[in-house]
Amino acid sequence: MNPVLVMGPILLLFVVLGFVTMAILFERKVIGWIQMRPGPNRVGPWGILQTVADVLKLLIKEDIIPSKADKPLFKLAPAIAFIPAFAVLAVIPFTESLQFSQFAVGILYYLAVSSITIIGILMGGWASNNKYALLGAMRSAAQMISYEIPLVMSVVGIILSVGSLNLVEIVEAQKQVWFIFPQFLGFAVFFIASLSELNRTPFDLPEAESELVAGYHVEYTGFRFAFFMLSEYVYVFAMASLTTVLFLGGWNAPFGLTMIPGIVWFVLKFLLIVFSLFWIRATMPRVRVDQLMEFAWKVLLPVALFNILLTAVLQEVPYLDFLYRL
Amino acid sequence: MILNGEFIAFFILSVMAIGGAVFMINATRVMHMALSLAFTFFSIAGIYLLLNAMFIAVIQILIYTGAISILMLFGIMLTKHRDEDRPAISTRHLGISFGVVFLFLGGILFVIYQTPLMGEGTAPLTVQELGTSVFKQYVIPFELASVLLLVALVGAIILAKKEEE
Repeated sequence: MNPVLVMGPILLLFVVLGFVTMAILFERKVIGWIQMRPGPNRVGPWGILQTVADVLKLLIKEDIIPSKADKPLFKLAPAIAFIPAFAVLAVIPFTESLQFSQFAVGILYYLAVSSITIIGILMGGWASNNKYALLGAMRSAAQMISYEIPLVMSVVGIILSVGSLNLVEIVEAQKQVWFIFPQFLGFAVFFIASLSELNRTPFDLPEAESELVAGYHVEYTGFRFAFFMLSEYVYVFAMASLTTVLFLGGWNAPFGLTMIPGIVWFVLKFLLIVFSLFWIRATMPRVRVDQLMEFAWKVLLPVALFNILLTAVLQEVPYLDFLYRL
Repeated sequence: MILNGEFIAFFILSVMAIGGAVFMINATRVMHMALSLAFTFFSIAGIYLLLNAMFIAVIQILIYTGAISILMLFGIMLTKHRDEDRPAISTRHLGISFGVVFLFLGGILFVIYQTPLMGEGTAPLTVQELGTSVFKQYVIPFELASVLLLVALVGAIILAKKEEE
């Protein structure tokens, strides 16, 4: 067996774990900076070891399983929530050479596999045998299902333009123009829906610490809780990568600056998306539950459908079709 | 029978699919049943993948494992989900069920043996070919199915409205 094929995913896992550690620190630092406070600054220089200390604390905590819980499901739920989060990374092309599979239906694979996480969340909430956990799980699942539809619809414009579901071909089609310009409506819908899929502010209702205690993972402690948190941040990694690949041209360099390697461009665009997520979290209040559902079905979905229609019409317009038929 | 990777993968996936189905029948809690069913759906997606039908496999996960299972879980959670009693099944009932299942199995096997299956070496169907055949050759059945779904959707909305009043 090819050793690169075996070692690649393991290396990627370590890269992702490193990203998660730094992202949590970065998030707290950025939010602290926006709110004019120092943020974590006690563990290590500039608080750099704060997350390491937090994770260590979670790992050595006592593992508590409520006596009335459904034990097998309670233990299984964090794994079911985490595995799809890592599995979706298999189809994301980081650069021309750094990619794991040339899956023909890559984008659909991402959307399909990521929906399995919802089962893990529902399982965890139900198995906890706690009304807050159940409520949180149902809210979470309802939100993720509702926002998955605009998310899928918003990328149809890109698929129409490229004529392929393969993520590598989608990146290669963006050599001239990134899809954020011709598909701006699609990008807006995709970005808002992805915020909601990631359960981040302003759509962090599943957690809503002030009303629901903590949502579906109230009863979880120690490393099981850490797994839920980890899967959430791995999805941040995956979703930011997917946004980069779909709308920001992946590894393609802007303004013909090709002497800088593709991976640097990818990381820069990726970090821009991650920073925007934290920025939005620090600025926006949380939306209400009824507004949340109305927004998905009455605003995002029609806009996404309009974007599909618009793309199909503009493909036939002379002088503009070079943007929509690649 | 050659013991290659494909065969081993098929064996594992089949055991997973059948195991999920058996668990579904034997579980006492409705929640466990729904999860076993989701597991079976997922394993079947693996078998599609093995048959080089990537699009069908991914759609199977998206629709069955992702959407339909979660719909069932929602239904269970919103209703009485602590139910564990099982009504006793009469022997006559059991006999009829087995008879129907055997008839169904016979019918399916008959159809499978009648259909000329393609031999090895056929290229996997691309998404493009699939789309062309759905929207050109099978456009009328496709549109009929869409109308049916639309009718079901309108019906669901009317029923929900009635309950509100």
